[in-house]
Amino acid sequence: MPALESLFPRDEFGLLGLIIALPLLGAIVNGIWGRRLGRSAVSAMALTVMGLAFALSLVTVCHLHSLFTESLHGGGGAGHGERVRLAWTAWEWFHTTGGRSGANIPIDLKFSVDQLSGIMMLVITGIGFLIHLYSTAYMAEDASYARFFAYLNLFITAMLVLVLGDNLVVLFIGWEGVGLCSYLLIGFWFGKAENAAAGRKAFLANRIGDFGLLIGMFLLAQYTGALDWDGIARNAHLLLSPSPAARVHVWPVGGGIYQGMWAFLQPANVVTISGATAVSLALFLGCTGKSAQLPLYVWLPDAMAGPTPVSALIHAATMVTAGVYLVCRLSFVFVLSPFTMTVIAVVGALTALFAATIALVQNDVKKVLAYSTVSQLGFMFLGVGVGAFTAGFFHVFTHAFFKACLFLGAGSVIHSMHAHIHDDAASQDMRNMGGLRKYMPVTFATFAISTLAIIGTPFTSGFFSKDEILFKAFTNHVVHPMKDKFAQRGLGVWEQPTWVGPALYVVGVLAATMTAFYMCRALYLTFFGDFKGWAIGEPSAAKTHADHDHADHGHGHGGPAPAPHESPWQMTLPLVVLAFGALFGGWLNAAPLHIEPLGHWLDPVFAQAVSQGVQIVGGEEHAHHLVWPLAAGGVAAFAIGSAIAYWMYIASNGAPAKALAERNKKLHQLALEKWRVDEFYGVAVVGVAEATAETCAAIDHGIVDGLFAKATSSVVAAAGFVLRALHTGIFHAYSAAMVVGLAGFGWFFIAPHAEASVNQAGGSYAIHAAPGMGYSFRWDADGDGKFDSERFGPTRDLSVSVEPGKTKQVRLEVKNAFGLTGSTTITLGTEAKKGAAVVGLR
Amino acid sequence: MMPSILALMPMLVIGFGALALMLAEVLTDAKTGLAVGTAVVLFTAAAFACAGWMVGPENLGDAAVFAPWLVFDRFTLFFEVLLALSGALAALVAGGYLREHGIDRGEFYAILSFSTLGAMMLAAAGDVLMLFVGLETMSIGAYALAGFRRGSPKSAEGALKYFLLGSFAAALMMFGFALLYGATGHTDLAGLHNALASESLRSPSIVIALALVLAGLAFKVSAVPFHMWTPDAYEGAPTPATAFMAASVKAGGFAVLLRVLLTVFGDERSASWATGWPPVVALLAVLTMTVANLVAGRQESIKRMLAYSSIAHAGYLLVGVVAAIRAPAQAQSAVLFYLATYSVSTIGAFAALVLCGSRGAEVVSYEDLAGLGRRHPAVALPFAFFILSLAGMPPMAGFFGKWFVFKAAMDAGLHGLTVIAFINSVIAAYYYLKVFVFLYMREPAAGAPIAKPMWSGEVVTAIALCAFFVLLLGLAPGAVLDAALAVGGAG
Repeated sequence: MPALESLFPRDEFGLLGLIIALPLLGAIVNGIWGRRLGRSAVSAMALTVMGLAFALSLVTVCHLHSLFTESLHGGGGAGHGERVRLAWTAWEWFHTTGGRSGANIPIDLKFSVDQLSGIMMLVITGIGFLIHLYSTAYMAEDASYARFFAYLNLFITAMLVLVLGDNLVVLFIGWEGVGLCSYLLIGFWFGKAENAAAGRKAFLANRIGDFGLLIGMFLLAQYTGALDWDGIARNAHLLLSPSPAARVHVWPVGGGIYQGMWAFLQPANVVTISGATAVSLALFLGCTGKSAQLPLYVWLPDAMAGPTPVSALIHAATMVTAGVYLVCRLSFVFVLSPFTMTVIAVVGALTALFAATIALVQNDVKKVLAYSTVSQLGFMFLGVGVGAFTAGFFHVFTHAFFKACLFLGAGSVIHSMHAHIHDDAASQDMRNMGGLRKYMPVTFATFAISTLAIIGTPFTSGFFSKDEILFKAFTNHVVHPMKDKFAQRGLGVWEQPTWVGPALYVVGVLAATMTAFYMCRALYLTFFGDFKGWAIGEPSAAKTHADHDHADHGHGHGGPAPAPHESPWQMTLPLVVLAFGALFGGWLNAAPLHIEPLGHWLDPVFAQAVSQGVQIVGGEEHAHHLVWPLAAGGVAAFAIGSAIAYWMYIASNGAPAKALAERNKKLHQLALEKWRVDEFYGVAVVGVAEATAETCAAIDHGIVDGLFAKATSSVVAAAGFVLRALHTGIFHAYSAAMVVGLAGFGWFFIAPHAEASVNQAGGSYAIHAAPGMGYSFRWDADGDGKFDSERFGPTRDLSVSVEPGKTKQVRLEVKNAFGLTGSTTITLGTEAKKGAAVVGLR
Repeated sequence: MMPSILALMPMLVIGFGALALMLAEVLTDAKTGLAVGTAVVLFTAAAFACAGWMVGPENLGDAAVFAPWLVFDRFTLFFEVLLALSGALAALVAGGYLREHGIDRGEFYAILSFSTLGAMMLAAAGDVLMLFVGLETMSIGAYALAGFRRGSPKSAEGALKYFLLGSFAAALMMFGFALLYGATGHTDLAGLHNALASESLRSPSIVIALALVLAGLAFKVSAVPFHMWTPDAYEGAPTPATAFMAASVKAGGFAVLLRVLLTVFGDERSASWATGWPPVVALLAVLTMTVANLVAGRQESIKRMLAYSSIAHAGYLLVGVVAAIRAPAQAQSAVLFYLATYSVSTIGAFAALVLCGSRGAEVVSYEDLAGLGRRHPAVALPFAFFILSLAGMPPMAGFFGKWFVFKAAMDAGLHGLTVIAFINSVIAAYYYLKVFVFLYMREPAAGAPIAKPMWSGEVVTAIALCAFFVLLLGLAPGAVLDAALAVGGAG
């Protein structure tokens, strides 16, 4: 595309600015004038900007693709293209200094797109457009229609800033922006207290994560002297510096030495971690917040209080994957710390399993999907944690389709249930549904396809992406990139135990089995069997629809009502498109069949990380033989899980499930209550915080208010009395203050100041007396109590050597211009510092 | 010859422009144009200073003929631009304010212009005599502006106090310079520096001179305890004059402070960390920040609050001055950048304050602001905006001003001082945010007088320009920061 190339050169690719500005424009227009414009204008505005943004994103990615193909053929590399990148600097914001060398760190508002962020951009704008379209019907009746679209557009802007930012600061702006929009949209119906509380909970949980991200950002600036992706990649090796000064001292904190009464805390061995481990752990804390992983996942299920399109867009397809994106983006940093990588993989696997167990028993269709999202995010982290960045990111991509489709499908069902059941909780309860297959054929078909995809039915998108993650979990092994070099210098490094890989695989297969079960359960309960919502029939004349709109908020109606209806085309069209993607998206990276266009496309982005630290257990050849045996595990998970669900809910119409729940009543209840994690946090975190707050309040009330405030106020009152006494001549008070100030100056300048600084080098000390106008000096260097010379002279520097283990006292006397003298005594002596060995996780 | 004229052009433009303004005031009845005329004159001067900057002071060859009286380096040029812009903005505010309040007498603009000229001379002064002439030209104008509301006893009282104390401070400073001349035989700053740097000079009179000069300078920048005139003078003066004093007079004070402390007393012994001025100035900074912020929180009058706020900002600036002795280039440019951000923020705040009230319904206390955000959102918004910048919230200019000064202090190893400055800026948030509480969260008590906004194109223009600069310095500080860095060690 030479025309595009000439219009937008690689470093001045202004199209990016336009792609970000369009949704922002929509947000501003709908936010400020939306109420006056009317609904059709608001929808037109929102859809236009999103459609244009998607079209421009397509153009950008096509351009990127042509550049990539060029590098593929022109570079002479063996089938590996380069990372291609289009950048645009909005403006140069400011710069700061950092790093050990005091490097100049420019903080620019700069955006760039490469293979990785290109895919993200397409997902955000493409699925974003579909969800905007869906929302025009879903939210049609809402009073705050314009506000909703303003928030939604603002979210798209922030999300684009997040993925397109060329440095961590811009990413952070987007990161906070999506957090804000998520907060606003979760609490969109803020009239209800629990919605507002859910918004607050999301905000607070994210705040903990953001703290980690900030710390990681500061550490990166300190270690690498850069905050932009290229600069960090260039200097990433500095994170591995083995010198004790460059490592993060975990204990004693900050590398101090505990002395005196705290000496018992001083360990025999100092515990340190490498800069890479510190940075990546801090960044990963940020990821666990945004991407709802253990232990910070608690906000995501509650976030379902927001409108369903929001759940689909923000809490399934885009924002929650930001953490995975960050790990992929900084893969070359994460891979430097095998320890962190193992933590990521383990946290991911455990989250996948843990959330799946909760999803098994939930009755609210959105809650099932929410825990399913947490679980699937766990799979993604499992993937990137074992160094399979392409596989993890591929799951982000496929998940965006099938989970958005599932949420929108659930939204479609809720929408039609809501026509006659006005209670939110009841209209989302699967026990009130059933048999909807007949009434909502399109919703059913798309929901079923997406279910098949998420449970890993062979050759659907979910099969390929999940299978690849499980396969890589088994075969991949993250190793320290400098292992050999460190070994030569006698330094040990942390290594991932060999049993971790197979264990992760087993946990993953177990979670996948549960996924198959609970998703099939949701499908069966919702669409099969008999409809249980209300009696279907012609409404009697006395009970028209309008009557119960306000009067009846119970479980359905006493009298018959029309059958649930299919949703309008604005809602079914996005469903069909997304289901298509869910069904066929997998062929972009069908690794077992060697169809891997996406893999090749992303390879250059992860090349640095993969070549540095990812090994395959037993070599590539060995792993090759394991492809189908390991895939069999995934297929078995699908088959077993769905078969059990079929037997329980279709063949036996739910009886075994009830029996099982009866038999394990307590366990069932505990799972239904989400293992009571919220309650645990309530006691352990919120309770402790509240107790601390109350203690502080008591101290504040008793001591600060009682003692300090009263004392202060009486002092102020006394001062007021003094000032009143001076009232007639307040001007004199002013000049008196000046005179006092001047006198203070004079006092300081006239008083002699004998001060010296000492520099130690081994056993010799260089003492340097502070100079002063009109000052002269005399020394007692040998510590015999007599000055070396009776006369004051100009000598300001003195060198003294002290034998090891002994101390010496040196005296300095000064005489200033006014003939006043002052003196100081300096004690010199070598203190034998306890030589502490340095060990730790390198 | 041309280049040396270019060096003088900013001052010449203002001098002749001020004369022309006086003539115009006498010869025509049209008073409305005077504010805009003053602004045009001052903007022209700023443009010439910018031109001088682009040509580069090193290419102003013949400018050396003014030496040692006037020094034209990047330091001078930076201040010329800053002072001319501040003066122009204050003149625009005056255009609306004086008309609204019925004190629309033309001499205001001429005095303001001459006072700006004095401040520029102060920044450019290379000799003690020139410095004194500049100081008095600036100060006498400021005294007159402070007392411009002749009918108001408060105005007269504030101006008289300012004048008397100002004369006292000027006398102290002059005495100090006289002692220096006696000890060294020099009146030019460079010569003084060389004389003081020589080891052989041991006269106690120099130490006394340092104390006296320091006291005079501390008065000009209103550092505690030399600040007591400030609230009275700021409160009594017509608001545009207050804005002018808070921005231009303070900038002039800091120009001379930097010049004198870093040039004349920049030698190892005078700037010693044990015996010289840095610990004294550090203590002044701590006192100034702490006292001003604590007292500001107790004010009921908005103007007095802003007066104490301006004192507190002088404290942060003094932190930068102390840092400048250890890391000259970086810290000095941080001070210059801070002055730029502070000037536009504070003029903007006073301009917005002017716009919030009208004759007989002015904003005096917080109570007057109650509910303004709901009644007149368009008027309340700019006030809130500049208050945010003064409080140092990103992405306003004030944030980066503080950022660079604090960073310079950290880099200079002044950790304790930085922590105190940081705590102070947190305390300051209390009284700044109080403005928000009244603007947006309070309704006026029944029957209480409420402020009625006025309308004036000049004031709105000034606000728009200030807002532009505040956002520019906050979002794209690069250009101005580079300029401040280019000044480097030239002070």
